[in-house]
Amino acid sequence: MANLIIEQVKKRYGTTEVLKGIDISIKAGEFLILVGPSGCGKSTLMNAIAGLDDVSEGRIMIADRDVTYADPKDRDIAMVFQSYALYPNMTVEENISFGLEMRKVPKEERDVEVKRVSEMLQIDHLLSRKPAHLSGGQRQRVAMGRALARRPQLYLFDEPLSNLDAKLRVEMRTEIKKLHQKLGTTIVYVTHDQIEAMTLADRIAVMKDGEVQQLGSPQEIYDNPANLFVAGFMGSPAMNFIPANVVSTDNGVMLELATKTPTLLPFPKKEALNAYLGKEILLGLRPEMITEPQHHKEGLEFVVKSHVNVEVTEPMGADTMVITRITDSEINCRCHPAYPAAPGSDIELMFDTSKAVAFDKNTGERIDL
Amino acid sequence: MTSANTMNSNSSRRQKTPLEHILRVALYICLLGMAAVYLMPFLVMFLTSLKDVEEIRSGTLLSLPGSLNFDAWVKAWGGACTGSSCNGIAPFFINSFQIVIPAVLISTIIGALNGYVISMWKFKGSDIFFGALLIGCFIPFQVILLPMARTLGWLGIANTTTGLVFVHVVYGVAFTTLFFRNFYQGIPSDLIKAARLDGAGFFTIFRRIILPISTPIIVVTIIWQFTQIWNDFLFGVAFSGFDTQPVTVALNNLVNTSFGGKEYNVDMAAAILAALPTLLVYVLAGKYFVRGLTAGAVKG
Ligand SMILES: Nc1ncnc2c1ncn2[C@@H]1O[C@H](COP(=O)(O)OP(=O)(O)O)[C@@H](O)[C@H]1O
Ligand SMILES: [Mg+2]
Repeated sequence: MANLIIEQVKKRYGTTEVLKGIDISIKAGEFLILVGPSGCGKSTLMNAIAGLDDVSEGRIMIADRDVTYADPKDRDIAMVFQSYALYPNMTVEENISFGLEMRKVPKEERDVEVKRVSEMLQIDHLLSRKPAHLSGGQRQRVAMGRALARRPQLYLFDEPLSNLDAKLRVEMRTEIKKLHQKLGTTIVYVTHDQIEAMTLADRIAVMKDGEVQQLGSPQEIYDNPANLFVAGFMGSPAMNFIPANVVSTDNGVMLELATKTPTLLPFPKKEALNAYLGKEILLGLRPEMITEPQHHKEGLEFVVKSHVNVEVTEPMGADTMVITRITDSEINCRCHPAYPAAPGSDIELMFDTSKAVAFDKNTGERIDL
Repeated sequence: MTSANTMNSNSSRRQKTPLEHILRVALYICLLGMAAVYLMPFLVMFLTSLKDVEEIRSGTLLSLPGSLNFDAWVKAWGGACTGSSCNGIAPFFINSFQIVIPAVLISTIIGALNGYVISMWKFKGSDIFFGALLIGCFIPFQVILLPMARTLGWLGIANTTTGLVFVHVVYGVAFTTLFFRNFYQGIPSDLIKAARLDGAGFFTIFRRIILPISTPIIVVTIIWQFTQIWNDFLFGVAFSGFDTQPVTVALNNLVNTSFGGKEYNVDMAAAILAALPTLLVYVLAGKYFVRGLTAGAVKG
């Protein structure tokens, strides 16, 4: 168990700056998820934490020890690679025990450890096989086993599940979560799957172009995204960004949407909008906040009903996504499957802005924080 | 392997049209013809080596020997004169092995290490280093004769077996490095990263992980180097002393040394003997050679 502090870490390849000053700090035992589009520097940051690549600037501390210039083997970390990186010439057993052997653990102890880990991951019947004779899911488990065997202070997982099929991925996701609850070890986990991020993380760092856009708990990131990028990246379907005019009314400052008959929406942090009076902003509203009219919400402070034209519907089983359009922006609304919403027809929807957020149209930054 | 198998089973399952039959027969005739062209010289050599001088003079190239007569082989091996000595090519066989075995092993080991470093432990300028090494593959033998002679003299190993081993290692490293580097290029770098995190060092990774998966390319390199060095004539003739001559040089001397009539049968037998080791290497390891050349990245 160890905390991890990353301070102003920069990484340059020649003149291109791949990491532009990363600051992340997590407590011992926390599960940190790095998310971001591919090429944003997630693997580079992992390699820096592992010591496989030197950083150009900055400091990395594990368990309050400065390891910026320490050798990978002296950092007491284990990593699971996206490609698994199993040693092809070794059996499963040898793969798992190699790290222990390198650390001069006696044979008897290694055997005990291999047994413990392989039983935990249910690969004890595969110990004498070579990686070439394993399925994808089995290889993934062996890769985890290799990392678990050494009981390091810190685990690094670089997209460990992205090569598995959907069903196996969900299963392994649950297992990794259980594993973390059982072991309590600090984990840094890279993924570009935002569901994985939401379900596993204690803390999420959303990255883009070598910068951390926001670091926070999954709920913070979901409810209070720092900018348009974070808001659009987390959540599926993504948050709706609706162009809205900030107008002054008898009831104070409100947001006006260009529906057929203009809709006036109240906004929780009105005062933040004052600076934008008469201008257009982007209203961020999650799909589940635009629904069919619901009785229990009728008359609440931030709930308004309005008519929209249905463009397409996408039934998803539990809900049906109704897709409409407001000033050229596609809007996803999460409705009950029984709610009649034929494409082309006008229907009434309920807008709940109690959790709405607002973004500057030009900078993409939150204006109501 | 698998793809070749599926291709075969596909084509045999399907009925062939008459045209395909004709084309197939034509293909085999073509192949047999080519094989004959390549085998003909060897056949002539072999037949000639079994005849005696009288038969050679009276018969044609392809006429069969009157009796199975291995006298020429015995003489080529143990009694023919090469320059001033008349002990056949046997002693030079031993010379050749004394040159080839260390030269092949050393150049292969150095090539493996070079390839390992160049593809997996990139350092500043490693690409330039590799580029410079590559040029070594294109330098003609003749170019380095004089500088090498000076170097060998300066090192005090001129005219010795050690000197020849040295020359062949220096010249071979460019090729062996290229082979290993290309092979290692296909090995995922994550493998090295994983091993480093497991606590393994430079040589441990090489010995425990990289070497065990290098068998195909080791076989290729050894066959290539063995053939090159065994068949080398120029370095042999330029840098060997009288008692360190490789078999190729001895063969040349044998053919050029004649008292009275030319003994073509002995010449042919000696030539076949000198070629046998490379032939054997191909027969024994040929399939690994092909497999190694076509082997791609190591599948986890
Ligand atoms: N060795 C390298 N030399 C130059 N650029 C690199 C190198 N490694 C990675 N990069 C660049 O750094 C960026 C981040 O890569 P990476 O960390 O692998 O992204 P991610 O894992 O988030 O997909 C990419 O644009 C990539 O092209
Ligand atoms: Mg990556």
